[in-house]
Amino acid sequence: MNIDLNLIVESIPEMLSGFGTTLYLLIISGFLGLLLAILLLLMRISGKFYLDFPAQIYIYIFRGTPILVQIFIIYYGLPQFEYIQDSMFWIILREPTGCAILALTLNTGAYVSEILRGGVLAVNRDLIEAGSALGMNARHRFIYITTPIAIRIALPSYSNDVVSLLKSTALASTITITDMTGIARTIVSKTYAPYEIFVSLAIVYMICTFIIQKFFGFIENKMSNYTKIDSDNDK
Amino acid sequence: MEALTGWWDDFFWGSKVVAEVFIASLGLTILFGLIGAAAKLSNSKIAKKLAAAYTVIFRGTPEILVILLFYFGLAITITSIAKIFDPTVKFIDIPPFWSGTFAISLIVGSYATETFRGAFLGVNQGSIEAAKALGMSQLQLFIYIRIPEMWRIALPPFGNHMLSLVKDTALISVIGLNETLFVAKQAITVTGKPFTMYIFVGIIYLGFSSIITLTVIAVERYGKRTTTVK
Repeated sequence: MNIDLNLIVESIPEMLSGFGTTLYLLIISGFLGLLLAILLLLMRISGKFYLDFPAQIYIYIFRGTPILVQIFIIYYGLPQFEYIQDSMFWIILREPTGCAILALTLNTGAYVSEILRGGVLAVNRDLIEAGSALGMNARHRFIYITTPIAIRIALPSYSNDVVSLLKSTALASTITITDMTGIARTIVSKTYAPYEIFVSLAIVYMICTFIIQKFFGFIENKMSNYTKIDSDNDK
Repeated sequence: MEALTGWWDDFFWGSKVVAEVFIASLGLTILFGLIGAAAKLSNSKIAKKLAAAYTVIFRGTPEILVILLFYFGLAITITSIAKIFDPTVKFIDIPPFWSGTFAISLIVGSYATETFRGAFLGVNQGSIEAAKALGMSQLQLFIYIRIPEMWRIALPPFGNHMLSLVKDTALISVIGLNETLFVAKQAITVTGKPFTMYIFVGIIYLGFSSIITLTVIAVERYGKRTTTVK
């Protein structure tokens, strides 16, 4: 078995031409997913049964089923109904990219809302009590005390979720999207050289993962700047 | 719903395949996780580096890529090895069941490595000292103290790993494993009802996830029966 170096050199630029699609899927669905997650979080911590319960059911369903099944339901499944083809949503749903973004958004939203909820629940009760002692109302307490601390607590888990979102974008290749994985699969079916192609693509993904982790590490550092100074003063 | 008539048994056999993959990969995941954790906790620098490389590689690569690589790669490698012994061999096909199971076990095993490592480090130092004071050997210490304390710490995150295993089974359908998603594809070509079929697949997977979640909760409660402070 010999490794064909020429093939690697030739195919890497070809695969990287799909990097834009991967990045596009990651950023758009990551952003929309975060918005959805915040909405779900607010529903869950509202304390009202009629808001909390639907959010719980949503999270349960989307965390309990494989994302591949979700993608297939949206891309292959929804056009089964004619009224969806007539509706205004058809502009998004007729394109595989739109379907992939919708599926990834719905999926990551469920996961991220649980991460954010973990952050909110981990905020020290004393600080919130201190807030009410200072005469802050519930909204002010949430905005000025809970949110900044919860973000800091949730950030490490959130960066893991962004990495798994990056990995999920590879599944878009199953619905004919030519992202990096989609291009790699086409090359492999032409050349039948899985090791060269898939391993070099895996390295590309690992570099992306590394960059994401470093980026969030940097933000974490920035956000916890003043807590570090505090703990230095304590010593 | 009437579209499902005649497909119930196919979906049943598909679910059986999901269960089989889950059980086989659960064993392998625990094995890889324990080996990885042992390597990370060992004093050997090489073992630590290897374990670190293992977790970085399998946590940073998309699952689908690993599954495709194992399926196509293993077939080529084993064929070329077989050709050394018997030049008449044309091509050896690897069953998707085993290459897929192996791939998802390695992926989830890399997550389990971290979980197990953390759990072993979380074992109460006091218990270990007490065991040493009682004159327990290293092996006794491991079996009677470390393992019982460690699995209780590892269980909640490991429950999530089990959920990933069952959900990753769906990805193996991409290389042709005849599990429920694969059955649904066949059913769709006949009935032309993609939504019904895929929703049904979703319900099956939701059932599997629910069973696992409930089992984990029950086992957690069992684990806490003696440690609860009254």
